Amino acid sequence: MAAIPRLTSRLVIAVTAPVTLWLRHASQSHSGNCLSGGGDRARHLDLAPLARLRLLALVGFAVAALALPVTANATTIYAASSLSKVVPTIAPGNTYSFAGSDTLAFQIENSAPADVFLSAAPLYAERLHSKGLCSTPVVFALNTLTFVTPASNPAGITRVQQLDRPGGYRLAVGGKHVPLGIYARTLLGKLGLGRALTKNTVSSYQKASDVTTVIALGSADAGFVYTTDWYANTTKLLAIPVPTSAQPLIRYEACVVSRPGSDTTAANAVIARLVSLAGRQALFNAHFGLPPKT
Amino acid sequence: MTFRTGLFLGGLVVTLVLTFLFLLTPIAALLLQVPPRDLPDLLRDTAVSSALIVSLKTNLIANVLFLSIGTPAAYLIALGRFRGRPVLLTLIELPLVLPPAVAGIALLTAFGAFGLFGSTLAGLGIVLPFTQAAVVIAVTFVAAPFYLRAAISAFAALDRTQLDAARDLGASEAVVFRRIALPLAADALRAGWAMAFARGIGEFGATLLFAGSVARLTETLPLAVYAQLDVNLDSAVAVGLLLLAISGGVLLVAKLPPLWSPAAPSSTAGGW
Repeated sequence: MAAIPRLTSRLVIAVTAPVTLWLRHASQSHSGNCLSGGGDRARHLDLAPLARLRLLALVGFAVAALALPVTANATTIYAASSLSKVVPTIAPGNTYSFAGSDTLAFQIENSAPADVFLSAAPLYAERLHSKGLCSTPVVFALNTLTFVTPASNPAGITRVQQLDRPGGYRLAVGGKHVPLGIYARTLLGKLGLGRALTKNTVSSYQKASDVTTVIALGSADAGFVYTTDWYANTTKLLAIPVPTSAQPLIRYEACVVSRPGSDTTAANAVIARLVSLAGRQALFNAHFGLPPKT
Repeated sequence: MTFRTGLFLGGLVVTLVLTFLFLLTPIAALLLQVPPRDLPDLLRDTAVSSALIVSLKTNLIANVLFLSIGTPAAYLIALGRFRGRPVLLTLIELPLVLPPAVAGIALLTAFGAFGLFGSTLAGLGIVLPFTQAAVVIAVTFVAAPFYLRAAISAFAALDRTQLDAARDLGASEAVVFRRIALPLAADALRAGWAMAFARGIGEFGATLLFAGSVARLTETLPLAVYAQLDVNLDSAVAVGLLLLAISGGVLLVAKLPPLWSPAAPSSTAGGW
């Protein structure tokens, strides 16, 4: 829980201990020189090994203070990038690592030190669960897709059905195998626009924020982003309405990572906060949808 | 050999072994991840072959660009006497310190649709995003500084008296550059080019944001690796090994003595 204060105190020790040592040593050697009263040359010869010792002590202290496991007791939360603004306000004081859910799942499968996994799609949480790497996933938030163009809408797109025109637009979408891309393909499929991605020039991104960036900067004429990402960029992105019936079901799932030495009590507490009234309120304020109360 | 010398040499060997272990262990681990006999199958994917073609084509153009424009420019910076050289040298190094994603954004804000020159380019009918021209620009932007730094050092290290001797014998400045400076700096230029090539062929972040990742058009090998990670770790590793083989091959070839050296007099190779 108190990862940041603990890290700070380690850093303080790492910096102050050698300095203190150095000061003490300096004062001792100074008094020693007064007693001996030797010439410059003698003093130099006398001090050289001590100076070397001092350097060793400096390095040793710094290394030792920093090498002690900082995160041993802190809860480490691996969370999908789209949660980066809201989740730290719900569960403050933890260590966070934000990335695409697929990347995070891959890291956890390769024994990353995560305690909690917050996935933007059930696929990844459930994959870890089936491998025995995390507890039964809990749905804690929902999202939708928004079809967006740059704010100035240079291509003049007013309806998603325009994507069916041959040879038309430059589109930015999530990759075929990442949640954002899978959802976009589901949505297009429900609208009978399955071939929109072959009729237009389509650039695929593995990260949701890359899609937002290239549309906002006008590289793409349009694309599909998470509704929460649109809310974060309303001045740069124009939302084009999509029939609600075509919306894919986007569920965020949380699970406690099972690994030797993981702090499951603290991890369960984090998930409890997410599904608590306060957690739901914060997610709602951040424009996430909410699952039925359990 | 005294005991102390032996101790020192022993220490040197230990640091060398540590260096190699640290740098080569991850690469060896990559090789062990995928059995070599599976490599051909993993690389047979059409996505890989089209990415290979995109990578080779765009890098070839980018390399021709920075070699042909960068070499004379580096010559001028290295030998010219003018104020503000340190500033100029630092400016050339700036693209090196940009994180790749920021380099991509920088290119977009300069040449993208809403960038500084976006409307000018659009007026000329030039659309850069999602085109191979954008890949070439991204690769040139991140790779050229590596070559320029090496080329400037190479030209600056030339023995000026040799250049002056040629001038005394009536050679024009162009001839001094072409017949004296270039051959003398050739080895260092080749080494610098190899580093720049390796950086360019592995370019990822700037290409992704500036040129996009459009299959068969702007999807280069490094972008293909990233996309493959979500499908199949082994095939991502296989593409990574292909990249490694290309860059490693170029780096090695650049260090071998040239088969044919145009103007190097035999005396410079004396002793070999």
